[in-house]
Amino acid sequence: MMKYFSSFVHEFKKNRPLFIMIAPMVILIFVLSYIPMSGLVLAFKNYRFDQGVFGSAWNGFENFRYLFSSGTGWLITKNTILYNVLNLITSQALAILIAIAITEMKGKYFKKISQSVIFLPYFISWVIVGTFVYNLFNYETGLLNSILESLGHESVNFYSMPGVWPIIICLFNSWKWCGYNSVIYIAAITGIDGECYEAAEIDGANIFQRIKFITLPSIKPTIITMLLLQVGRILRGDFEMFYQIVGNNGQLYNATDVIDTYVFRSLMQNSNLGMTAAATFYQSILCFIIIIVVNQVVKKIDKDLALF
Amino acid sequence: MKKMKRLIVMLMVVTMLGASLSGCSKKEDTATSGNSETGGLDTSKEVELVMYVISNEPAGQATVDENFNKILKEKLNCSLKINWIGWAEYANKYPLLFSSGESFDMAYCANWLNFSSLAKKGAFMNLDELWPKYAPDNYAKHSDTAKQQAVVDGSYYCVPTLLATYSAYGPIYRTDILEGTNWDGEMNTFEDMEEYLDLVAATGNGMEPLEIYSAGSELDDMWMYYNGQYAIKGSTNDFLFIDPAEENPKLYTYYEYDKVGEFLDIMNRWNEKGFFGKSALADTDSEKLRNGKAALRVHNVDTYQGYTIEHPEYKLKYSNLVKDVSNLSFTQDAMVISNTAKNPERALAFWNLLTTDQEVYDAFNYGILGESYEVNEEGQFKILDTDKYATTAMWAVRTTDLNRDQEGTPQEINAYKEEWDAYIQDGVGAQKYRSFVIDTSSIETEYASCLSVHQQYWWPLELGYTDKEKGLTEYKEKMEAAGIDKVRQVIQEQLDAYIADLSK
Repeated sequence: MMKYFSSFVHEFKKNRPLFIMIAPMVILIFVLSYIPMSGLVLAFKNYRFDQGVFGSAWNGFENFRYLFSSGTGWLITKNTILYNVLNLITSQALAILIAIAITEMKGKYFKKISQSVIFLPYFISWVIVGTFVYNLFNYETGLLNSILESLGHESVNFYSMPGVWPIIICLFNSWKWCGYNSVIYIAAITGIDGECYEAAEIDGANIFQRIKFITLPSIKPTIITMLLLQVGRILRGDFEMFYQIVGNNGQLYNATDVIDTYVFRSLMQNSNLGMTAAATFYQSILCFIIIIVVNQVVKKIDKDLALF
Repeated sequence: MKKMKRLIVMLMVVTMLGASLSGCSKKEDTATSGNSETGGLDTSKEVELVMYVISNEPAGQATVDENFNKILKEKLNCSLKINWIGWAEYANKYPLLFSSGESFDMAYCANWLNFSSLAKKGAFMNLDELWPKYAPDNYAKHSDTAKQQAVVDGSYYCVPTLLATYSAYGPIYRTDILEGTNWDGEMNTFEDMEEYLDLVAATGNGMEPLEIYSAGSELDDMWMYYNGQYAIKGSTNDFLFIDPAEENPKLYTYYEYDKVGEFLDIMNRWNEKGFFGKSALADTDSEKLRNGKAALRVHNVDTYQGYTIEHPEYKLKYSNLVKDVSNLSFTQDAMVISNTAKNPERALAFWNLLTTDQEVYDAFNYGILGESYEVNEEGQFKILDTDKYATTAMWAVRTTDLNRDQEGTPQEINAYKEEWDAYIQDGVGAQKYRSFVIDTSSIETEYASCLSVHQQYWWPLELGYTDKEKGLTEYKEKMEAAGIDKVRQVIQEQLDAYIADLSK
């Protein structure tokens, strides 16, 4: 024990500037992420306002019961994971494609303008996107149905077809995020040594070969880091997105309900903080397990690419 | 190590000094004068009362507050600070108000903000002694029904509103668009409604005949009330009903009601006729009638009043289709004292003054005479600039004998209200069950699941979006899986106890 301590003191003296530089972050994370973790006890308590977080009585796993009663727990867990996997793959793949396309572009102004246009949706709030969706897909006045009608087809009632919604949600999610994500890949691609490309060109490699053998392998570490970071959030549904796009359409819930929307809907009416904490606790535990497993798998394949 | 110790000691000294200094400054406050006495309350010390309301703060609130605080200082030696929780954040922020430990005196509360569930969880101060003692006039003004509704677990936890409201519900409809047609003008049944909607659809002016939006249809509630049934929660969007005409009513839900098939047939037909959108549950526009995009909406008489004042050119009419009218719960607007209140006595004295003194009431509710509102010869008020200040957001303050009608209020409203007042008798029909408040604390899991299933399966079904037979069976299966039987059993026991208690 003493030995560790003295070696720590030694280390500290040696790298004092480094320790000082990291101190604010360590303190921030401790205050904002570690201390609030004690609030997780709420998940096992029958919370009362006058008794506070720590004074309220324990009630075991009672708060978790509602998540799984009537069998919805598995459905919403499954939905949450599938949506996140789908969104993860599509938005990252699109972001990589966009990043490559933009860096390969020659015209300076065209490049800047197209990058801005692709980035723009990131700034549009989901509330407004929800209105877009309604105006595109509603039965009477929706844009899609108006087009169908003018072409002599029958109108389609999208709001009674749960099957198409995963695609719609996935499309809008990619549309909103791919510009933002592509910035990171553009930065990674810009960092690749230009000489590699010149050498390849002299050797006669065409553009696809250059992308396949130079660009993609060079940004592989970035891709994997981005994937791992996203996997850590795999059980957190993007509440705003689902809530604004799906709204109160019960017919679509079986295909679109994620943990966050289900919890919001059923607990709006009785403000039970214990039950909400239980849902968050459940999400956190599952996220933790998944990230550990995925990280281990990555480690097995290539030690240098894992997060920790 | 020594340095560390010294640092800690220094820190402690500084904190203690700070604490004692702030103590001193508080003592100085008490020196200010003030000698009016209310209910044996010592008002010699000036205090600031803090009140939370739910609304967006109007632009002209500061001047209204300034004027009001002048009056308040004189009458009760205190000032009022109103904190606002905006509409965009209330759902998340309101429950946290009581767990944050922040000290404040009063807050707006209501059934729709889960008054009884919050009270059970210890968010509010017990008012058994405080209310009669410090707000005696207010206490005396309340009917027994209202007082009973303020009780949770045997104690008072809120001061309900003194404004009677009614369970009357029905179509608000435009008559200007059917002028010149041979419409008979009747609107007393669902058939009349359908006839009207048919005519509107036939005029083909691009208007949606019936307003329905994402908060779900209210026609199911309407159908139940129309048939004299009572929703046990006392408000719309409930899934348990009783027949108040029975001696010992038994709770039932939609799929057990014999007239539910008839209702679903009507809605299916209306859906096919295109009276409302096929994606209405995704439509967030809740003001279609108001903005001239729909012709008929089912709602309460207050909405009718508001729309008529705003759009007299629509020639709106109203018809109540509720067979058994009763007073809506008086806790649908209420004032609660927080369990962190510093000055609960003064807060209640303030409330007493507010609900008995016309001058204070006007200044709090309508603002400054001549600047924010005017009063005409009939005593009706008119807001001068609604963008700056309308009326208070502390709706619980509204008191029948102090409240003013708004200029332009349709004349028949007062006639309706007199008619309903004459009909309502304490302890008869639906009114008998108005004070019954369901307690879901032992069935929170099942109740939450049922609510969720109800929204998921009933809302599309009642609009004719899903197949009648199949939808009803599925709704039933899911409700049973969610635990409707247990919910019903527990609430039935509570109801039986309530009835037994009444007949004592």
